[in-house]
Amino acid sequence: MISIKNLQASIEDKEILKGIDLEVKAGEVHAIMGPNGSGKSTLASVLAGREDYEVTGGSVTFENEDLLELSPEERAQKGIFLAFQYPVEIPGVSTTNFLKTAINQVREARGEKALDAVNFLKLMKEKMKLVDIDQSLLSRSLNEGFSGGEKKRNEIFQMAMLEPKLSILDETDSGLDIDALKIVADGVNTLKTNNTATIVVTHYQRLLDYIVPDYVHVLYKGRIVKSGDKSLALEFEEKGYDWIKEEVAAV
Amino acid sequence: MMMESTILEHLDSAFQGNAIQKEALNMLKEIGLPHKKSEAYKFTPITSILEKNVSFEEKGKNAIDKNKLYKEEGSHLVLINGILSKEDSKISDKLILKIGEITEGKHDPFSLLNTAYANEEIVIESGYEEPVFIYHFNFNGLSNPRIKVNVKDGHTFRIVEKLITPEDTNTFTNSYIEFTVGKNAFGYHTKVQNYNLATFSHETVVANVSRDSHFYNNTFSFEGALVRNNLTINLDDENCEGHMYGLFLLDKKSHVDNNTSVDHKMPNSYSNELYKGILDEKSTGVFNGKIYVRQDAQKTNAFQSNNNILLSEDATLHTKPQLEIWADDVKCSHGCTSGQLDEDAIFYLRARGINEKNAKAMILNAFALETMEHVKIESVREEIQELINKKLI
Repeated sequence: MISIKNLQASIEDKEILKGIDLEVKAGEVHAIMGPNGSGKSTLASVLAGREDYEVTGGSVTFENEDLLELSPEERAQKGIFLAFQYPVEIPGVSTTNFLKTAINQVREARGEKALDAVNFLKLMKEKMKLVDIDQSLLSRSLNEGFSGGEKKRNEIFQMAMLEPKLSILDETDSGLDIDALKIVADGVNTLKTNNTATIVVTHYQRLLDYIVPDYVHVLYKGRIVKSGDKSLALEFEEKGYDWIKEEVAAV
Repeated sequence: MMMESTILEHLDSAFQGNAIQKEALNMLKEIGLPHKKSEAYKFTPITSILEKNVSFEEKGKNAIDKNKLYKEEGSHLVLINGILSKEDSKISDKLILKIGEITEGKHDPFSLLNTAYANEEIVIESGYEEPVFIYHFNFNGLSNPRIKVNVKDGHTFRIVEKLITPEDTNTFTNSYIEFTVGKNAFGYHTKVQNYNLATFSHETVVANVSRDSHFYNNTFSFEGALVRNNLTINLDDENCEGHMYGLFLLDKKSHVDNNTSVDHKMPNSYSNELYKGILDEKSTGVFNGKIYVRQDAQKTNAFQSNNNILLSEDATLHTKPQLEIWADDVKCSHGCTSGQLDEDAIFYLRARGINEKNAKAMILNAFALETMEHVKIESVREEIQELINKKLI
């Protein structure tokens, strides 16, 4: 589904990603772990098209198309979804209105008919159950005054509404208590199909108890230094990240 | 004091007023029109701009565009160059309307100018629930529309005002409207200022609010060569409320200056002010909000905020809150912000599939919309919403 080759990116002339290779196929869940500052969130942002980052080398192909050529909205329309680490508060724009606009722009780009109010509400009701989100939250301004858990659930709710092909969860678990974490993980698992893929960016192993990855990659200083199956995540749980730092230093 | 203005010398020869007008003219001559050093007009050198741009003796050709009239129940008053045109108006027989001699009204140099040179004074009184729409069609170089509104005890009265001017001739409108709000009454006043770059105006709004009464002013400005709004709310008695909402959404070389003042004179009154500015291209926006809390006005609650977004490096904004408090048991707050569009917010919306243009419009629209809370008349709301959309998309 997505093929990342030797991806390099920098912000304000500071090189953050120093050559990432990653191949994600439909149906797979990949976890990207690593200590703070290793470039995990940068990778997520670059894939979503944040313009603060400059791609200085390499390529990203999404469903046989050059992803790096596309604007953030075109990427979303083609099925890429980024669940933000810090969802932005937007005063005066209700989640409902915002989502209706988003869904219909995505549908328009895919040559589908716009959803009318009735069908939109039906879809919303169905997806609300999935992440146990309340109607009253959705009529409020987008993320404004939401708790950390509410913001993250809202992200997964948006993901459910937009039905992306590739979901990138950027530290969706940080700051969540175990109950909220389970709700978020349940949502992600329910949405998973053989035609979708997920990249889970996380600092902690805990989330991976609930969203079980097929592959785990360790990102350190802008490079993937180790890949393996889910047992790799458990090693971190035991040994911490210092272990990987030492190993890289020894090379 | 020296009279610095050639405008006044010029007008003097055309003077035909009554004793009150004569007095106003003398007063005006004494204080003069605002000059370079006038603090209240620091960012809007109105006198010199008028001298350069407007020929006061210009007589325009009248052409009333009836499409500008709202399709709403109520009275529709059409004024042409400050004079009520009964044949173009639609006046409910329940509306109490008088046209008469000029009575007092001294507030600032321009209201004195209005008093001295107004052709007539239109007095309207609340007597029924339907709103009154006032359309100023001004074609002359100088028009001095003058209106007094009495909201009687216990009544609710809604007034909407609009100014329509030609695009090809420079005109100056110097309007004056004064509200007297009786006891336990509600006065609502909404202005839609969508002019053009040939339109210069100085618009004075004064409201004198009695016990247990509320006054609301909503001012929406979209375009104008120079628009100066002088809004004064006097909360003369206990338990009064003054509400001031404004939006200035400007582009091109538009210049809008909002000068507002609320005066708390007695205990237990409340005022709330929210002005928002969105400035694009080479436009200029000014906000100056004064709150006075007099010694007797204990337990006053007064809030003010002015938030602005600048969309262009060539746009200019001046904002100045001003609080003068003599009472000691009051709650007052004020704040102003100005900045660019929030790039993180735009990216967030784009990452959900909304294109950049729409994302920006969505954020700005939400920002602007907050000022519309107290505009209740449907077709006025629609018109303002349309004007906002037109500017943003």
